Amino acid sequence: MFEAFTDVNHSFFGFLNQGPLTLTIFLHTIIILPMFWIYFSEKKRLENEQ
Amino acid sequence: MLTSIKTNEFAKSSSKQLAMMYFRVAIILFGAQLLMGLIAAIQFLVPGFLFELFDFSVARMVHINALVVWMLYAMIGSVYFMLEDETGVEGVGIGIGKLAFWVLTAAVTVVVLVFIFVQVGAGTEASIWFINEGREYLEAPRWADIGIVVVVLTFYWNVFATYMKGQKTGIMTVMVANLMALAGLYLAGMFFTDNISMDQFWWWWVIHLWVEATWEVFVGTLAAYALIKIINAKREIVEMWLWIEVLMLFGSGILGLGHHYFWIGTPEYWWEIGALFSALEPVPLVAMFVHVLYDWGKEQGAAHAEGKPGAVANNGPAIAWIVTNAFGNFLGAGVWGFFHTLPQVNIYTHGTQFTAAHGHLAFFGAYATILIGMMYMGVQYASGVKMLKSTFKSKMAIFLITFGVLGMTVALTIAGYEQVLIERAELGGGWQAFFTAQELPWYIQAQIWRTIMGVVTFVGFIYLVWDLVTIGKQAKTAEAAA
Amino acid sequence: MAKKNVSVWTSVPFWRRSAAWVTGFATILLIWLSFDTLGQISMGTDADLKNGVDKRVPGPTVINYHIDYKMSKKRGHEVPVIGEKQLFFGKEWSEKDAAALLRLGKLTEQAKNCMDCHTLLGNGAYYAPDLTKAWLDPAWQKGGPMQGMTGKNTVEEAMAEFLQHPSQYPTHARMMPNLGITAQEAKGLVAFLKHMSSIDTNGFPRNFSKTVDQFKAGGTNAH
Repeated sequence: MFEAFTDVNHSFFGFLNQGPLTLTIFLHTIIILPMFWIYFSEKKRLENEQ
Repeated sequence: MLTSIKTNEFAKSSSKQLAMMYFRVAIILFGAQLLMGLIAAIQFLVPGFLFELFDFSVARMVHINALVVWMLYAMIGSVYFMLEDETGVEGVGIGIGKLAFWVLTAAVTVVVLVFIFVQVGAGTEASIWFINEGREYLEAPRWADIGIVVVVLTFYWNVFATYMKGQKTGIMTVMVANLMALAGLYLAGMFFTDNISMDQFWWWWVIHLWVEATWEVFVGTLAAYALIKIINAKREIVEMWLWIEVLMLFGSGILGLGHHYFWIGTPEYWWEIGALFSALEPVPLVAMFVHVLYDWGKEQGAAHAEGKPGAVANNGPAIAWIVTNAFGNFLGAGVWGFFHTLPQVNIYTHGTQFTAAHGHLAFFGAYATILIGMMYMGVQYASGVKMLKSTFKSKMAIFLITFGVLGMTVALTIAGYEQVLIERAELGGGWQAFFTAQELPWYIQAQIWRTIMGVVTFVGFIYLVWDLVTIGKQAKTAEAAA
Repeated sequence: MAKKNVSVWTSVPFWRRSAAWVTGFATILLIWLSFDTLGQISMGTDADLKNGVDKRVPGPTVINYHIDYKMSKKRGHEVPVIGEKQLFFGKEWSEKDAAALLRLGKLTEQAKNCMDCHTLLGNGAYYAPDLTKAWLDPAWQKGGPMQGMTGKNTVEEAMAEFLQHPSQYPTHARMMPNLGITAQEAKGLVAFLKHMSSIDTNGFPRNFSKTVDQFKAGGTNAH
């Protein structure tokens, strides 16, 4: 699954880039995940309103 | 539009007067852009045309700079136009804003004259400061860069101070935050480096984060304002859509920058980041398209249900251009961009006419259209009419310009396709490969069609100017007679 | 208290907060990525070249070396290969002189507005050939039409001669105009082009100027 490091220089992002779409899926996930928290806190706020 | 606004009893807002000043210069520069494009298109077919007098590089430089500058003018004009409507207070410091307008216009004139008559300089820092910075789209010499920053700061102060004084609508909040990013990004293009990879890295910060992030959000903001003004859309719905658009545009557009970092010396990890984030860039453009058409249909339906006959839009040409924007943005920026955004495709299409095809339809579809729509709103305001109906000239303008740009785009796409297959895939780039592909009949035919369609666009432009100048008076006379 | 039926998906504050989060966090990621990339694309030094340290953008003294562009099995695409020492304009350039020459070349490239006809690293206008690997183009090598046309014996001299009098040479119906490039500026431009050809562009352009035979042999470009 994980390939040997191919790029010229080693780096954190280069390390995450070793599998199929691993880096971009990781970045998408950490951007989207907190939106769950935003959703539920907003739901709570609306429920407690008035 | 060119009739004196001072004599009009309806046009009392000085912020809106300033908007009209910006619109007027914008439309003149739009004409200059098209003329330069025609010269450059002819040079593809007749290489000796104006050779060593007004070379392709000069025509192309003025072509793309007139484009950027007329759009910035129309954008600044649009902000001054909506400022007082949105905040509900009088614009702050508009007098200084007017002074800044004249300073900017004088500077632009000098830069264009130097581009046309001096053209190039010696390989020194002085050339970059006073003649030409030589970086595509950012050719303006450094002195002008600094001048632009000063003028934009004045403009931003007008907007920000008015915003702080007045009501803070969602539309205005997005506008103020987005303008700060838009203006700040320009600074990333204002330094010299002898490392071409570093140069290109920061250059894309300006170019990409403008046209694929902040300018797109700007368009979303304008569309939101225009929908409320033209079809009386509900603010709650429009602003909710605006926040969704901001989320999706910035969510995909900011890291979508990676699709310019595939081949300029930057690490391989940009392949994945650029590919997947930029692949999502069309999504908000679909959303904007749905939003505009849905709101229009809904308001029209509601008006009919209330027993009000006729069109709900109070400005025919403006709504036509805004709908063209919704569709053109999706097609030009979204579809044509997605065509070549994956690195597996882009390694062959990068630096071919494919990019030119995308550039033409995207700049037109995403930006030119809505800014022309704003100009029609300006005309409606200046003439003080409640209802601005499309004339024959309005229809000819929108039809010919849209048809012309679409035609150019298709022609350039075919040229690009031929170039990708012959020059890149078959012959592997290089001097000989380039000219072999440029000489093939299918490439030349595509360039001929591009030129013809360029002329069609220009005829449409003449109709547009003619219409903008006359439509207001015509509508006023009609309204007085009724 | 019974839970009310609420609609989060149509709540403006929900979208506003989400938009702020996504924009802010994407910006932070971009800045972090930019710092990482800037470190990797900073120019190398003369010592890096001597010690064989791989830099994506080598130092200016790379003009003292032979440069090639070969398929790398490990990378899966072509990469620049810096080889033996090679004189440039008949001499070996010190680190200081090479840097000054490269700087002159880059300034000239901007002042003469090369990018509004040519593409560099694939960016620019599409009226004239891409210059990313122009230094390695077979047309400029010994026996190539461009070198033959100028009557010079090295790539650098042929390029410098052409750049000073581009419209005197019969190249193509679409000619390069005379931009008033001086002898010294021409040298700078050639150094700039040679340096650019040594940048690791992740395999762009692919199969540069290869014939089928060379491609099958997995070999080199023009050299």
